[in-house]
Amino acid sequence: MFKSKHDRLFFISLLPTSITIIGLLILFLIILVFHASTSIGVFGLKLFIESIWNPENEMYGILPPIIGTFIASGIAVAVSLFFSIPLSVFTVEFIRGRTRELVSSLIELMSGIPTVIYAIWSLNTLAPYLKTYVMEPLYEYLSFIPLFSCKPVTGLSVFTAGIAIGIAITPYMAMLIAESYRSIPIVYREGCLSIGATRYETTKILLSLSKPAIVASTVLGFARAAGETTIAAVTVGNSMSLSWCLFAPSYTVPAIIASQYANAGLYVYAESVLHASAMVILIATLILSFIGLKILDEWRRRVVV
Amino acid sequence: MYSSRRIKDRLFIAFIASVSILSLVPLFHIMIAIAVNGVQVIAKAGLRFFTDTPPAPLSRDVGGIAPALFGSFYITLVSLPITVVLALLASILSTEFPSNIISRAVDVLSRSLASVPTIVVSMVVYTTVVVPMRGFSALAGVIALSLISLPYAYTAFSTALRSVPQIYREAAYSIGMDRWRTVRRVLLPVSRRIIVTGILMVFARAMGETAALLFTVGRYRMGINIDIRAPTDAIPLLIFDFITTPFKLYQEIAWGAALVLLAAYLAIFVSVKVAVKEVRL
Repeated sequence: MFKSKHDRLFFISLLPTSITIIGLLILFLIILVFHASTSIGVFGLKLFIESIWNPENEMYGILPPIIGTFIASGIAVAVSLFFSIPLSVFTVEFIRGRTRELVSSLIELMSGIPTVIYAIWSLNTLAPYLKTYVMEPLYEYLSFIPLFSCKPVTGLSVFTAGIAIGIAITPYMAMLIAESYRSIPIVYREGCLSIGATRYETTKILLSLSKPAIVASTVLGFARAAGETTIAAVTVGNSMSLSWCLFAPSYTVPAIIASQYANAGLYVYAESVLHASAMVILIATLILSFIGLKILDEWRRRVVV
Repeated sequence: MYSSRRIKDRLFIAFIASVSILSLVPLFHIMIAIAVNGVQVIAKAGLRFFTDTPPAPLSRDVGGIAPALFGSFYITLVSLPITVVLALLASILSTEFPSNIISRAVDVLSRSLASVPTIVVSMVVYTTVVVPMRGFSALAGVIALSLISLPYAYTAFSTALRSVPQIYREAAYSIGMDRWRTVRRVLLPVSRRIIVTGILMVFARAMGETAALLFTVGRYRMGINIDIRAPTDAIPLLIFDFITTPFKLYQEIAWGAALVLLAAYLAIFVSVKVAVKEVRL
């Protein structure tokens, strides 16, 4: 593979940094698993199916944050899909030239805003707004549905966290979906137009063609939402509770780490328990990203060619 | 005479357009809210907002965010070269020598680092750097920031290198250049604008990172420390801490700090856009 001695020398000189990167990630996993194993060894599977956070008595069960993470990310992805599919269709299909450049720049701008800025805005603007105009009416009229059955007291809840994270990941998902939507070969669009399809019908067909890519973007968006810390920690309400109601303050895994890790060193197992919960989320996000990227690659090979 | 198909089409376009506009509303609402609240605070504090330390929670004086401002620039600027060197070498390896197992491993692992939640990076750096050093330090923050920005830099650089048309490489090989010279004399110069904008975006990202700093840099808000082994502070960390306190004064400072952070981000974003436009010409 090497044409000359120089090429081989060059290749070898690139190796140390690359091996550093590979080593770092492996080291990462080893450290996390090592620290998590202490508490998993002591508490066993009970750690993941009980709901208790009592470091003073060394009693732990981290089911609520794990479930909270999945619910909040689920809401986030749903919100984000509702916005990002139309937004990507809009940028690719309906606007041209400078307007398109402007809108794509705005999406890009929005995707890079530091999450702590989303956090301060979500806490002070979004949460009170959601409480008055969404959560309270839902509670008042639909409280027979278990999901809406508790009174929103502070406005901080899994629901709020889900919406806030959903807004924050919308530009990311819109960029992913728009990229795959744009990469559909033009022959499909020409085919639709040549049989006299309206734009609505064309879009419907193109969207159904890019369905695997949208699924992949959803999976990647879910992974990103599950790892989101700053926004979740500020809006989720930070309370160890397990209930059907979306309006009750709860926890996500990154939120419980953010709020409890600093003091975890005072107790015997708290740190290890938090490592275990981090491990659960890390494994989930790694698997999800892997699946997402895999679906995307396969779809590209099949449709885009 | 409208057919039902035509009406459906119109309704669809109206729906798409209105949802798209609605989805960009938060962006403007965020910028306006931060600007309105932030300007009030900075106007009240004056220039001292950039030179003072944060006050006691119940004082009347707004004080400033100097330690966080300094700390943010300090750790970001120190971590940037580390990230850039690691990511550039890794991306050269995986784009110029694509067909061997190490390159493929580097490619997959660098990209999967992006899906590691940043708070997990913070925890791992805490156990591997902070605990052995017996204390929070700017160094721990630098390491955490380098780790989280590595995948972004890697993606940016490998995109830049791949964007150079294959004929440039072939031309270089045909006049007898080896790969190292090709990279140094042809590929890097040709893609240098894209690389520079990539570095700027990585800088912006590292500057706004909160979760990776939670358990690494410490929260030293009494003054400025040059020593890399000593704890420091960062703007996002200060905002995160202050918005969750019950003190009104601290929340005001958080708004001011958010404005500073947002303004810095906007400045970088605009310069990147300008630079990219020049490339096209």
